Amino acid sequence: MAFSLSSIPKRIHKTFANLRTGIVLLILVVIASAMGTFVLQRPATDAEKLAQAYSPNTLRWLDRVMLTDVFHSWWFLTLLGLVSLSIVLVSLDRFPNAWRFYARPYRKTDWHFRAALPHKVELPIKNAEDGLNAAERALKKLGWPVDRVAYKNEPSLYSERHRVSVMAVYIVHASLLLIFAGGIIDGAFGYSGFLALHKGQTDNVIELRSGGKKQLPFAVKCYAAGQDNYADGSPKKWWSKLAVVQDGKEIESKEIVVNDPLVYRGLRFYQSSYWLDNHTVDSLQIAWVAKDGKETPLQLHMNQPVALDSDATVSLMDYIPDAFVRDGQVFKKSDDIENLAFGLEVKNRATAEVSKVWLLPAQGIVLGEENLNYQFKNPASAQDIALAAVTGLEVSHEPGQWLVWTGVLLMCAGLGVAFYMVHMRLWIVAIPDAKGKLVLWIGGQANKNRDRFEQKFNDVVEGIRIELESASLTPQSARREQPELTLAGVK
Amino acid sequence: MATRARVVRMEPPAATGGNALLVLVGLSVVFLLIVALLGVAKSGGSLISESNFLYVALIFYAGAGALYMGFGVTGTPRYVRYASVATAIGLVANTLAVAHRWYLSGRPPFASVYEMLLSFVWAVAAMTLIAEKKFGVKIIGSITMPLAVVCVILMQLLPSEVRPLVPALQSTWLHVHVTLAMLSYAACALSCALAMMFLIQDGFQTETFLAWTSAMVSAIYVAIVATRFEKWGGLSVTGWNAQTKSDIFLGQGMRLFVTVPDLGWLFVIAASAAIVPLLLYFAGRVRNDGSFYGTANKAVFISILLQLVVVAAFVLRVRDAAYPSPDQDGLFPTSLAASPFLLGGMVTGIFASLLYLMLLWRRADLQGLLPSADTLDRVTYKTICIAFPLLTGMIAAGAYWANRTWGSYWSWDPKETWAAITWLVYAGYLHMRITRGWRGRRAAYFAILGFGVVIFTFLGVTYLLPGLHAYA
Repeated sequence: MAFSLSSIPKRIHKTFANLRTGIVLLILVVIASAMGTFVLQRPATDAEKLAQAYSPNTLRWLDRVMLTDVFHSWWFLTLLGLVSLSIVLVSLDRFPNAWRFYARPYRKTDWHFRAALPHKVELPIKNAEDGLNAAERALKKLGWPVDRVAYKNEPSLYSERHRVSVMAVYIVHASLLLIFAGGIIDGAFGYSGFLALHKGQTDNVIELRSGGKKQLPFAVKCYAAGQDNYADGSPKKWWSKLAVVQDGKEIESKEIVVNDPLVYRGLRFYQSSYWLDNHTVDSLQIAWVAKDGKETPLQLHMNQPVALDSDATVSLMDYIPDAFVRDGQVFKKSDDIENLAFGLEVKNRATAEVSKVWLLPAQGIVLGEENLNYQFKNPASAQDIALAAVTGLEVSHEPGQWLVWTGVLLMCAGLGVAFYMVHMRLWIVAIPDAKGKLVLWIGGQANKNRDRFEQKFNDVVEGIRIELESASLTPQSARREQPELTLAGVK
Repeated sequence: MATRARVVRMEPPAATGGNALLVLVGLSVVFLLIVALLGVAKSGGSLISESNFLYVALIFYAGAGALYMGFGVTGTPRYVRYASVATAIGLVANTLAVAHRWYLSGRPPFASVYEMLLSFVWAVAAMTLIAEKKFGVKIIGSITMPLAVVCVILMQLLPSEVRPLVPALQSTWLHVHVTLAMLSYAACALSCALAMMFLIQDGFQTETFLAWTSAMVSAIYVAIVATRFEKWGGLSVTGWNAQTKSDIFLGQGMRLFVTVPDLGWLFVIAASAAIVPLLLYFAGRVRNDGSFYGTANKAVFISILLQLVVVAAFVLRVRDAAYPSPDQDGLFPTSLAASPFLLGGMVTGIFASLLYLMLLWRRADLQGLLPSADTLDRVTYKTICIAFPLLTGMIAAGAYWANRTWGSYWSWDPKETWAAITWLVYAGYLHMRITRGWRGRRAAYFAILGFGVVIFTFLGVTYLLPGLHAYA
């Protein structure tokens, strides 16, 4: 056949509607995913580590074929797209047949159909109508639904169970497509980022994982955050008391912990980390000594004045994690916690005169209190200095996740039906056997787990035989002979 | 089937030999129990402890393994009876160990590699009994019990103290996820064992088994030599901190390696000895000369002896290296505990070779004892039909949990990716079987490959690939 433009869609259809193509695609996905786990991946590993692991040449080459970010590369996504296409086309090709089978079950009992059935038994009876009635009673006793079918003047019974199992495989594949669709929606419209909040801070700008920032339509306030420890000092629980704030009003509040996020308008705020900010002091526990030698404990928070007596107030104004002193002045050396320094301001209420006092607990000295009526004591231990808690929140917006969960539930249900529900069918008709005697012909078929079905089939036959006997519908001669279950298929 | 004719022999060949093994195993079990009891009495510790239960389980599993293998060799039906009893007792002890740990920690044992192995062994033993009683696959214990023994030995070396759960693991989904994982992995293990038996029953040539067995043993030793052999014949092992019971890390992901002098040569010799049968097999194939296989079998025998020597030397010599501590004075000895996977690999190699010998010497008897190839094929498929939904549920539960903890249901973490690969491999198996009608050999290869991927996902990813899924 000559190659023509119009045949291209047909060819594509033919290629992708082929199960072999599907399997090849799956193998490619497996290989690509495996490579994605062996080669260090970009967003997770930082550039420095990558440079350490691979030579510049190799890295350039890996980057070019996008092996350093396989799972977000266009070719991997194309591969997944082709797998979906293949699933759709293969299913579409097979579905009409399956649907016909499902919607219009084959209930007739023509002779060539009877001949092809794997399980069949003949029980001698006297009268067609009574025999079928007995069989119907027996089936109903065993919990089988029964349909009367009249075909070519041969009255017969048809019974089946779990027809839905025929459709299960399509449910499973459709659910896989649903999961893919959810993933695509999340890839296109979802985003995830990070938000770090100090105690008391409110913010609505998150740092996106993909780089850049995003402003949320509402703000999140952190009332408090903390870490609870086990007896051995390892972290037991991270928690944050959060509130959603919109137009200055608090709308919703929740204490979140790891594994229990705050959800508001499709955005989820996860407790992801917790740390102490080296640069900010939350509270400082010290003491001051009056002229008469009386010592009073004093708790200070940043920028919050505390009254010493009726004349003066003190507030904590400065905090330096690593300070050094030169000529009576305090300077910052670095951002590491080494030589802490706390700057206090003592304000005289009457004169509004301000004097600066520095506490340097590491050296055990206090600077600038020589001319004051108040003496200050350094914090007694590290526990008196509380650094500000910062809670790290992972923020994510996944509009497609409900499709994913629907798909997952559907898949579990579909697999359950596909593997554990057996489509069993029974046909019963009264016909003359090979010798011309009237028999009740019973045939059955199952779409899987055939050995188990054989047992069920025998139970049904036994039930019908007992029913026939109890209604004395078996011919006398046959009862004396003790009718063997003749497995016609074996002959 | 051509082999049917000589397969019918079901009578035990020698009753006296049968008693000897029973007495031997029984005496060993009693002896080991008494020694353990004396040890406990001397140290004044409590009898009821997880490690004691686990030790009892180990003894009975080992006894059961010996009896199952004895059954494989002699075909004495009595062995299976005692072997199932031993497996059942081991399972009870194993259950008690799980229960004791659960009771002490207040949570199911799912949170570290040690705890996962504890549950895995339990599932394997339980499934062995089910396969034996329900499907009549009596010989299966000769594969699964050695597996259980290797796992319990591995567990002796892994850090086992109850650690408090880190925040991310405090979730009901942990239990759902891990229970499903262990059940599906155990079902996969079973399907692999069944597939191998199918191959035996299907007339798969003993020589081909020879090739695969020696390829596997060679791979183990070549891998060890390639990664651990040091200049001048040393073997490097990881440094071990006895106080924290953990490997010593110099930096993130960088373990401290210490060289045990001279041990490396032994491994080179063992690796060469393991390759010899493989080479002889290929020579036999190329020259089309059966006499090569006979020599190859002798080479396997030599290889097993060498492997035993290497394991003994490794166990004895592994403490001989010393390393200076990064922050304390003095030298510290290395420990066997630091190399669980080296030891696990070596023990696996020995078991694999012994199983081959069993096949070589007693193939006809084995075939008489196993169900027919058709049955095995069908049961393998059924086992995978159980494993696959469980695997799906495991991934789904993991994704839901990840969504609650990491903020994303799928982040292409290596463990996730490999779980997906495992799922795809079994999905491939099901498709080929159902739509292409793959039966027999090809399906069996697929089932064995599937379990290889499972093992890599379970242990390989944790120890070889970095990722979020750091707990196990």
